[in-house]
Amino acid sequence: MSTPGATAARRGPCGAKEGPVPPARCGPAGSAFPLALMLPAVLLVVCVTFLPIVRAVSLSFRDTSYLKVGGFVGLRHFQAFLRDPLSRQNLLNSLTFTFGSLAVSLPLALGLALLLHRPFPGRGMFRTVLILPWVVSQLLTALLWRWLDSPLLGPAAYILSELAGTRVDILGDPNTAMAGVILANVWRSFPYAMILTLAALQTIPDELYEAARIDGAGRWNLFRFVTFPMIQNTFLIATIILTIHYFNMIELPLVLTGGGPVNRTEVLGLRVYREAFVLFKFGFGSAIALVMFAVNIVVSLVYIKVLRAESRY
Amino acid sequence: MEQPRGRWRALHAIGRYAALGSASLFALAPIYWAVATSLKPESKILTYPPQWWPDPFTLEHYLNVLMQSPLPRNYLNSILLALGTILLVLCLGAHAGYAAARYNFRGKNPLLFLLLATVMIPGIVTLIPVYLMAVQLGLHDTHLVLILVFSAWQVPTVVWLLRAFFENIPRELDEAALIDGCSRLGAFYRVVLPLAQPGLAAAAILVFVWVWNEFIIALNLTASNKTRPLTVGLFFFVGESSIEWGKMAAAAAAALIPVILAFALLQRRFIQGLTAGATKG
Repeated sequence: MSTPGATAARRGPCGAKEGPVPPARCGPAGSAFPLALMLPAVLLVVCVTFLPIVRAVSLSFRDTSYLKVGGFVGLRHFQAFLRDPLSRQNLLNSLTFTFGSLAVSLPLALGLALLLHRPFPGRGMFRTVLILPWVVSQLLTALLWRWLDSPLLGPAAYILSELAGTRVDILGDPNTAMAGVILANVWRSFPYAMILTLAALQTIPDELYEAARIDGAGRWNLFRFVTFPMIQNTFLIATIILTIHYFNMIELPLVLTGGGPVNRTEVLGLRVYREAFVLFKFGFGSAIALVMFAVNIVVSLVYIKVLRAESRY
Repeated sequence: MEQPRGRWRALHAIGRYAALGSASLFALAPIYWAVATSLKPESKILTYPPQWWPDPFTLEHYLNVLMQSPLPRNYLNSILLALGTILLVLCLGAHAGYAAARYNFRGKNPLLFLLLATVMIPGIVTLIPVYLMAVQLGLHDTHLVLILVFSAWQVPTVVWLLRAFFENIPRELDEAALIDGCSRLGAFYRVVLPLAQPGLAAAAILVFVWVWNEFIIALNLTASNKTRPLTVGLFFFVGESSIEWGKMAAAAAAALIPVILAFALLQRRFIQGLTAGATKG
């Protein structure tokens, strides 16, 4: 939208003209106005998200008992976390949950986006229906799947039981519970990657396909050399956002299984929740949360790098 | 894409509809089952094999939820929280987004980066200190603290989203307004803001869906039914009435209605907000 004309016009009122104060580009004094516009938003974000992190770091090195914050205990909470065999189980659960969910939701999202890309009768309806799970809350997702899988009233449990010949209780069996939680998670989250991918697909100019076809490209080569390179970045962004989202998950396992059976679905986030808000060990809970934060930072740095690369073009 | 011969094309179409049909079934089944369960009389809910279609059909569970449960209060709380958060986020986000779109000033990029950096903070890290602060300031279990915390989490996305919208509105309009004697704020309020309505709508619906669905923050920052939003209310309701399946299903279906309606009516804005929020650099 910004044209050479706009630049010229912008410079115009900065001259000796009288009247309204021109926009800030005229000098450092003008910085106050935009800063004032921006500061309230930044202040709120700093107070509610950044300052608490400082507090969390301080808590993680201290002895706490409910609201009382005691003395400095060094790395004791971190050591306790690392030595605890349950922590290994939590970490393993988080990785299984994150990568298990990615392995199902990403191919599903990509496949559906490709199917929805070209116009055909019924496309709008399919698209609406397939995006729908994304507006359902984690809490409701958990409840809906608990009922669907319930051996008492659930059709999914009924069908599986008939096929297997014995009673199946997906969420109650330690060996299948995680698969059940992953399935519910995929159900709610695949639309996100699908929408982003679909939006990226729509920006590919038709000429690219025509040119490739004239060069004799087949169906696979069109995908490999035209479609995929054009959606690569968006797909990567969706992957990273979903990775963070999955890794930080608390609600779904909390409501679906409560972390059970025998801790098989207690992911790291749920462990923090239990330590902090059920057992009220704020220091220990903060320490585990900071370990999660470290993982988030690494994944996010990749995200920011991709965004930067994207905006360069 | 290509021009396959007739039979291939037919097979292709059948395959496409079969794949999309099964995916849609997957997407709708959990929602359908809750709605179907909510419409069955209690005696038909726990049958084996399950009753696939509600017959006979009843609305008694919905009446029970409305008359004999705490959920209507939670419903009201969710509406208040959503409205409060939308107002605050749009107000903060529009000003900040406008500053970022129109002005170059020292500190702009670090500040924008600071907002972007919130994507790397897991909510639970901040929730422990926020809980402590809320208790110590006497704000625990108030609507205000929820609105502030919700807004803080939504502001960054909305700033990035609105900034992109403002950048698409020609600068000449601001400048014309300034020459006509508007103040800088006046130019923003009277000229730019009305033109950014689609962006504000996209932001509002994103925030609405987020607040309506938020659970874990609200669970830990509330302690009574006066403030608990619908998600938290449902969580306790299900814990307490674990055998009244029909009533629970009706409550869940009722909780779904507003987001599904908002989504159905404003689908384009919603998708626009979602994609812009994630990829606008």
